Amino acid sequence: MTGAQLDESTTVLAPAAGSSWPARIGLQVGALVVVVGLWALAADRGWVSERILPPPLDVWRSFWNLLTDGILFDHLGVTLWEVFAGFVLGSAGGFLIAVAGSLWVPFRRVIYPYMVALQVTPRVAIAPLLFIWLGFGAFPKIVLAATICFFPVMINTLTGLTIVDEESDELFRSLGATRRQRFFRLALPGAMPVIFAGLKTAISLALIGAIVGEFVSAQEGLGLLIQRFSFQLNSSAAYAVLLTLTAIGLALYGLMELIDRWVVFWNRDERLAKRSERAAARNARAKAAVARPQRISDQ
Amino acid sequence: MSIDDRAGPEVPPTPGDDHAEACVAARNVGKRFGSVVAIENATFTIPNRHFTAVLGPSGCGKSTLLRLIAGLVPHEGELDVKGQPVSGPRPDVGLMFQHPTLLPWRSALENVLLPTVIRGRVTDRDREQAMQYLSLVGLEGFEFSYPRQLSGGMQQRTSLARLLMTGAQVLLLDEPFGALDEFTRERLNLELVRIHEEIEATTLFVTHNITEAVFLADEILVMTPRPGRLAGVVQVPFERPRGIELQRTTAFTDIVFDVREMLGAAL
Repeated sequence: MTGAQLDESTTVLAPAAGSSWPARIGLQVGALVVVVGLWALAADRGWVSERILPPPLDVWRSFWNLLTDGILFDHLGVTLWEVFAGFVLGSAGGFLIAVAGSLWVPFRRVIYPYMVALQVTPRVAIAPLLFIWLGFGAFPKIVLAATICFFPVMINTLTGLTIVDEESDELFRSLGATRRQRFFRLALPGAMPVIFAGLKTAISLALIGAIVGEFVSAQEGLGLLIQRFSFQLNSSAAYAVLLTLTAIGLALYGLMELIDRWVVFWNRDERLAKRSERAAARNARAKAAVARPQRISDQ
Repeated sequence: MSIDDRAGPEVPPTPGDDHAEACVAARNVGKRFGSVVAIENATFTIPNRHFTAVLGPSGCGKSTLLRLIAGLVPHEGELDVKGQPVSGPRPDVGLMFQHPTLLPWRSALENVLLPTVIRGRVTDRDREQAMQYLSLVGLEGFEFSYPRQLSGGMQQRTSLARLLMTGAQVLLLDEPFGALDEFTRERLNLELVRIHEEIEATTLFVTHNITEAVFLADEILVMTPRPGRLAGVVQVPFERPRGIELQRTTAFTDIVFDVREMLGAAL
């Protein structure tokens, strides 16, 4: 078979093999209950200071207040916009440059060292400069998120597009395929699993970029909120925002995972089974539709 | 099942018909990769509609020879297929590899239709033809399965159906069943010979198995390595269809030993 076979192994949330899902969910929820229980106990007995570890119930109350005030949603909206725009911008840029590099070797040779230089420079360090260049709105945060997203998508796309199976390429050439056909029918679909691994890394990095951008300078956003609560030593509210960020991170990652499952269906047995069954059923229906009028005319 | 609408001669051939006509003609054909000589001075002809085995140990240039004939790699010397000099890939020459090289995102049927997709639009007739080839290679009922759902042997059958779908009259097979277990390989070899007879194509079959070569082929190009050289051509005069009991006869084992000697003398 062709292309990269990076698949479930790149998934951080891969379920443990060999257990049924109710048992798995049970264990996972059980672990959460134990951790929260220990946390409540530690806070209750005063093993740790409330500043460091506020009781779970206080965190919940802060969360509820932030939610009902509408404060959380306002800031959440801003941060999500920065994450989304930064992710789209950075990924699209990384993807397009990788495609150009895969099709045109001199270009790849020229840009590659610069891309690596960009990657090894801590992007967080350019955050203060971004505000000199771009001012104080959402835009510098979007740009920061985009520069961080850029590299994993670029490098994965370039890798995926350049590791085309040699025999498959020979097959395409022997069939008289054009360069365009070889790209769209062989290289690009073959690269999809690797590209998605890059996109999944990028979406988490976009969140980091947006939050760091807000730390440096912001009027709104969850990063600002968490910073403000920390300065106020309001640790239960800071925890509430932090857990909100975890939830957002999980949701974004889950969304990418879902799109991945939908696009790269050929690496998932259950998706394949469904597709082949549907195609067979469609074929049977088409056959029946052709056969029926004949039968009538026979009589 | 008959494959009647394939490009090819309309009159079924009588034995010895145009068999003498050369399908592949090579004169002093060679190939160098940098300073490494992969093939040196190969001169041979392969008659139309013959089943020819290319036999030799690894590194003797068998696969390279096939790629030269397929027009995938430029060659030195004179190389004609069907009277035309080889200058690149062409529609009447089809290739099959040791690995199935199926696209995992296409079902068996869609994989078989790939040659049609690359050449233009897929019509209902093409779909029907692809279905016919799939049942010819014994995959009826698996048309909508994906490569990942098929066994290694079934994947290779799909690959064979795809080769037939090209409509090529020269079939180049590079150890097509080499990665399969011996039972499956033997069965697929026999089916390949049956298909070869049915579609009246010229077949070049690369193998490193002497018995397999003698059993399947009309003649054997014996190659030796470092540098890749054509040691000789061995004719295999047995009638077709050939049964497995042929392998017990002394005539058969004589040829096997001749080939082995030819390989041994050059090694």
